[in-house]
Amino acid sequence: MKNYLDPIPKFCEELKKIREIILTNIVLLGQIPAPTFLEKRRADLLLERMAELDMDECTTDSYGNPIGIIRGKSSKKPPIFIEAHLDTFAKDPCLDHDFIVTDTFIKGAGVSDNSTGVGVLASLPEIIKRLDLKFDSDIILISDVESLGKGNLKGIRNFLKVWTTPIRGAICLESVEFGRLNYYSEGMIRAEIECNIEAGTGWQASAKPNAILVINEAINEILKLRLPQKPITKIVIGKISGGFKHGQNAFDSSAGFEIRSDSDDIVKEIFNDIKDIVTGISHRYGVILKLKRISNRNTARINFNHPLVKSASGILKTMGMVPICNSSESALSIFLSKKIPAVTVGITHGNNYRQQNAMVEIAPIYKGIAQILSLLMAIDSGVCDV
Amino acid sequence: MYNNTWQKKNTFSYNQFKDLDLLVKEKKRKNLTISLCLPTLNEERTIAKEIIIMKSELMTRFPLLDEIVVIDSGSRDKTREIARSYDVDVYEANDILPAYEKFKGKGENLWKALYITKGDIIIYIDADIKNIHHRFVYGLIGPLLLYDNIRYTKAFYDRPIALGKDRLRPTGGGRVTELVIRPLFSLFFPELTQILQPLSGEYAGFRDIFENIAFPIGYGIETSMILDIYEKWGLDVMAQVDLDRRVHKNQTTKALGVMSFMIMKTFLKRIARLGRVDINQNLFDEMIQYSLVSEELQPDVFSLPTSERPPMIGIPEYQKKFSRENTA
Repeated sequence: MKNYLDPIPKFCEELKKIREIILTNIVLLGQIPAPTFLEKRRADLLLERMAELDMDECTTDSYGNPIGIIRGKSSKKPPIFIEAHLDTFAKDPCLDHDFIVTDTFIKGAGVSDNSTGVGVLASLPEIIKRLDLKFDSDIILISDVESLGKGNLKGIRNFLKVWTTPIRGAICLESVEFGRLNYYSEGMIRAEIECNIEAGTGWQASAKPNAILVINEAINEILKLRLPQKPITKIVIGKISGGFKHGQNAFDSSAGFEIRSDSDDIVKEIFNDIKDIVTGISHRYGVILKLKRISNRNTARINFNHPLVKSASGILKTMGMVPICNSSESALSIFLSKKIPAVTVGITHGNNYRQQNAMVEIAPIYKGIAQILSLLMAIDSGVCDV
Repeated sequence: MYNNTWQKKNTFSYNQFKDLDLLVKEKKRKNLTISLCLPTLNEERTIAKEIIIMKSELMTRFPLLDEIVVIDSGSRDKTREIARSYDVDVYEANDILPAYEKFKGKGENLWKALYITKGDIIIYIDADIKNIHHRFVYGLIGPLLLYDNIRYTKAFYDRPIALGKDRLRPTGGGRVTELVIRPLFSLFFPELTQILQPLSGEYAGFRDIFENIAFPIGYGIETSMILDIYEKWGLDVMAQVDLDRRVHKNQTTKALGVMSFMIMKTFLKRIARLGRVDINQNLFDEMIQYSLVSEELQPDVFSLPTSERPPMIGIPEYQKKFSRENTA
């Protein structure tokens, strides 16, 4: 452990000397809106910046994921992946974000999920060069497209589907929160219930049911479902919308939810129960009520005592952090489902996630990056080769 | 009188100067130093972004700039504190050449920057550019390094206007240019109408150009600079560079009225001094506008005297610091 823990303070000092390069990458890349399915402009800039940095190779794969390769010393060791999803929250895909930078924070749409991650990924070739770090493995940087929401991690899924040779390990980067350590993914189905009622004409309109009340009924039925305590299972209702005028019955409404569990079978079972609820209410009220599955993940994990998790935990503790371990449904789940040892780490602290005024703190970024470098050294020294 | 030969020859795009290695090589070969000056007044929202991008791209990665200097007009927000935190030189305009009468305005900051900066080339960039990018700097420096006849470069843009927090109007802007400056240039200096955006706030030039011209304190600085360079060295030493897009705040018509007043006054004084017109009276210093308040017209009177700094080359402290003789 000593070989990758000892240099951490030096890394932090050296990183501060090139802070402008790191912050510039976060700003220039983050200001280009990249909502899911519309990431091309940001992908092009990321590639341009990687090419400027004389990376050994940089390209996009057939799915549009920008990829950069830093060649290692050994041709026998499998590569190490560093991933940061490219897509971010954006209110208007045509309007560039206007980031505000001060001496202590960066503020702007998407900066906390995941523009800081992408900016740091783009800075790694320069950082590795300036810190004169050498690795046996090739380091493959990938910023996958179509990750969030309806994207359902298609970018990373497709990339790993066609990648046939072994991968030594992977580090997934999220902008926030520094101190997180994700090494497992719960089973999950994300879905939406949509209610649409034909408006009709004249008096017919007032006799129609109210779409908001119909959705409310569906939510009440879902909340009555009995969920097992083991495997731990929960339903999170996270989105609701509908209607258009205060004094008029709503003709459309929708609710978005996730079913999460340690067991894939339970997730499927509950999804089927909700399907029955939706069909029943649709008949009862004579309305069109649809259940749409948006995305899903299977449970996947490495153990807490896996050397990669122990190393990542040790690195955080060396930095005075207590690792916060919980489930992550990001690209991590795809790496883990392919039996590739992987963890997700956070780079800094922030707030207002997925809002126009999202914010990240600048000071913790150096520790956040030092953590990545240290973890990279750990994987290169063999902690995943078990 | 229409003539566009200068425009064809001396109009560039920033894209032509993207090869930063080449620019650095030329700078070294010619043994030149380059200073970037950012004049500020309450720019805490934008100053750090400008500094980090320029430092990262044009100092750390490509050593094109030798220094970044912030000259502040007495900001009441955190502009100076934030700028200092990124290790650039920050000055309050009033602290520079303190023996001289104090003025407040962009022109004052640019003039005093000549005394503070060390570069053979000086580039001035407004500190409130929302979509700042290093092309704003290398685009203006490029022609100065690669073309021996060019001594002064000026930006022009596609100008979207920020209409609020999240809204942009893709074209427009330049109302003062089209309604004030272009008609005046057409009347007196048709050749200068080839300059597409004479009022753009970003320009670069060799020190020996800037030190030999006067600097009006307020909005007239861009107009007077063009007229003075044109009169002293001709149009061929100038070039204009397309810097693509610049997002700026939309100003009210009344604010543009004040700006136009200052520009017209500077222009008229200049052409009178050049003997092109006789103005047989003193120009007034008050701009009068009206607002309708509770069904009554109320005058808004702005006192706008146009002070002007003489060519820096005539200032003894400057002559001493830069071993110069007064050639103005």
